[in-house]
Amino acid sequence: MGRSPFAADLIAVGLFAAVVLTMPVWIVWIGGYEALATKIVIWAVFALGFDILLGFTGYLSFGHAAFFGTAAYTTGLCLKHLSADILPAFFITGGVSLVVAFVIGLLTLRRSGIYFSILTLAFAEMLHAAALSILQAYTGGDNGLTMHTKPELLGIRMEGLNVFYLAAIVAILGFFAARQIKRSPFGLMLRAIKENAMRLEYTGVNVWAYKMAAYMISAMYASLAGFLMVVLEPYVATKFLHWSTSGEVVIMSVIGGVNTLIGPMIGAAFMLYFENVIQAFIGEQWRLVLGLVFVLIVIFLPGGFVDGFNRIRRAVGLGGRERHHNVPDAPAPVRENRGDRAARQPGE
Amino acid sequence: MSGSLVNALTLQVITGLQLGAIYALIALGLTLIFGTLGVVNFAHGALYILASYAAVLVAGHTNFVLAVVLVPVFLFLVGIVMERGLIRFFYDRPHTDQILVTFGLAIVIQEALKWAFGANNIPFPLPPWGNGVVFLHEYLPFLEGFVVFPKWRLILVGVSLLVVVGLFLLLQFTTFGLTVRAGMREPDMMRFLGVDVTKRFAVVFGLGALIAGVAGVFGGPITQVSPEVGMAILVPSFLVVVIGGMGSLPGALVAALILGLALSFSAEYAAVQQIVVYLIAVVVLLVRPRGLMGKKGVFE
Repeated sequence: MGRSPFAADLIAVGLFAAVVLTMPVWIVWIGGYEALATKIVIWAVFALGFDILLGFTGYLSFGHAAFFGTAAYTTGLCLKHLSADILPAFFITGGVSLVVAFVIGLLTLRRSGIYFSILTLAFAEMLHAAALSILQAYTGGDNGLTMHTKPELLGIRMEGLNVFYLAAIVAILGFFAARQIKRSPFGLMLRAIKENAMRLEYTGVNVWAYKMAAYMISAMYASLAGFLMVVLEPYVATKFLHWSTSGEVVIMSVIGGVNTLIGPMIGAAFMLYFENVIQAFIGEQWRLVLGLVFVLIVIFLPGGFVDGFNRIRRAVGLGGRERHHNVPDAPAPVRENRGDRAARQPGE
Repeated sequence: MSGSLVNALTLQVITGLQLGAIYALIALGLTLIFGTLGVVNFAHGALYILASYAAVLVAGHTNFVLAVVLVPVFLFLVGIVMERGLIRFFYDRPHTDQILVTFGLAIVIQEALKWAFGANNIPFPLPPWGNGVVFLHEYLPFLEGFVVFPKWRLILVGVSLLVVVGLFLLLQFTTFGLTVRAGMREPDMMRFLGVDVTKRFAVVFGLGALIAGVAGVFGGPITQVSPEVGMAILVPSFLVVVIGGMGSLPGALVAALILGLALSFSAEYAAVQQIVVYLIAVVVLLVRPRGLMGKKGVFE
């Protein structure tokens, strides 16, 4: 490993960019189509942000649809009433999402573990219920938010491959940023929260501020995805706020491999490919099959596809990486003691 | 007070009881399982709707009384199989894994039901003895004029009360109940005393599923029978558990009652009714984070 970490980042991001930017070409070879590539990239951004929260800090949010959906509705309303240009929508959506993330974070981050999952689920469902009831006049209620706008960016129509390249640039920059975060002292602090938040607190670290920062960064990725989704198809479905959207990003992250950054994005690609291409072969039961795949992975391969890939590499003697834990320099006895399980939640 | 006001209040209180009853039953099972095994069962709503489907099948082929007997027993067995076959391997794994596996199970159950019975609502005919209305003014002399309430909804309230009383007797007056209560209070001390807590509590998981089964049989005709209902009913039930205090049985009952009444009294303002449950949860969390009757130190 003579490379500097930054060079390693550049190589990884470069490879990632090459795969993503050529996706509209190669996805057709495996039975996909152009718009599917765009959707995959958008969901990959969503899942990538989710990994910054779940993978780094260990906080399992069941309510990330709140940010995806709020951003989608905000973008939709801006495009519909303000301007067909996506730039004003971009900035307004960013502002609104920051506020929403901060408020929900204030309410939910006082808790960890199970409690956090339940609360995030509940507040996302509250927004879903509100969109269908008291905010119905703005959101269009059950029908979703419909519009005739054709989004554009500085005069360029945003459709087809234009949207794809916009999303791809966001994903590549997002991936680069996430790798930088992971390697930074800030990222190490987040991973220390997963390992032992209480000990961190005792050493005088303001754990809450770090958690809030991670939560908001993660929410911003989700908002970007929601924004791009509406740019791709100028329509907002109520499903964007529904728990099933939160559930989908959880499933993607877990089957791909939590805490690997690339894993959740592979999970997103797998899931959308499954939904749009494999469905043609196995029919309406694809959700059942996907659910079973998810359960099996949770039981037998908690590290997801990425860990599976590494296990195969180790088995054939290519020396794939062990499923790594959070603190890189834990002494050997600690690592043995810990076995293959992550740290327990503090205070339970 | 004018007579019509008394009438309206009485009706709203009874409606509140009825709305709270289903949440109470599901929340009791959730909090019982959480309190003893430390597992949050995201598949509990799926168990509820599984019971409703089973009840439709059994009642359709034989009669309703048989469904009342068989379905909870079936759910008890499902609960035991779930715990022994899957959940017990997750006690040593992180909490997030427990949530993930039960969430996955909920999806599998939901999608399997969708596959077998279709995504739409299927009819759940009431038995002849449960149809019609009850003339409340014949029983409650302070009511004026003519006041009626659907009979089935009263039966649901009655059955829920029976389940609650039964659970109370079981926990308060049997050795098994004593063990469970001790385990909910001091699981570590139980282990020090040589009681294999998790093994002993497999049956608690079955009990929680059984209660969800009872709720599914009697609640199915009211909440409708379609695969999505499971998750839709799980979220408010979680809130009931959180508001009442994780692992507190009386807390769950009180919270279910509060939510039921809040839903019933806000029904005139349909828009607000959808989110009143969440607003209450926000207030409780801000004022009293451990929930109304939560144990000190648990998730505080």
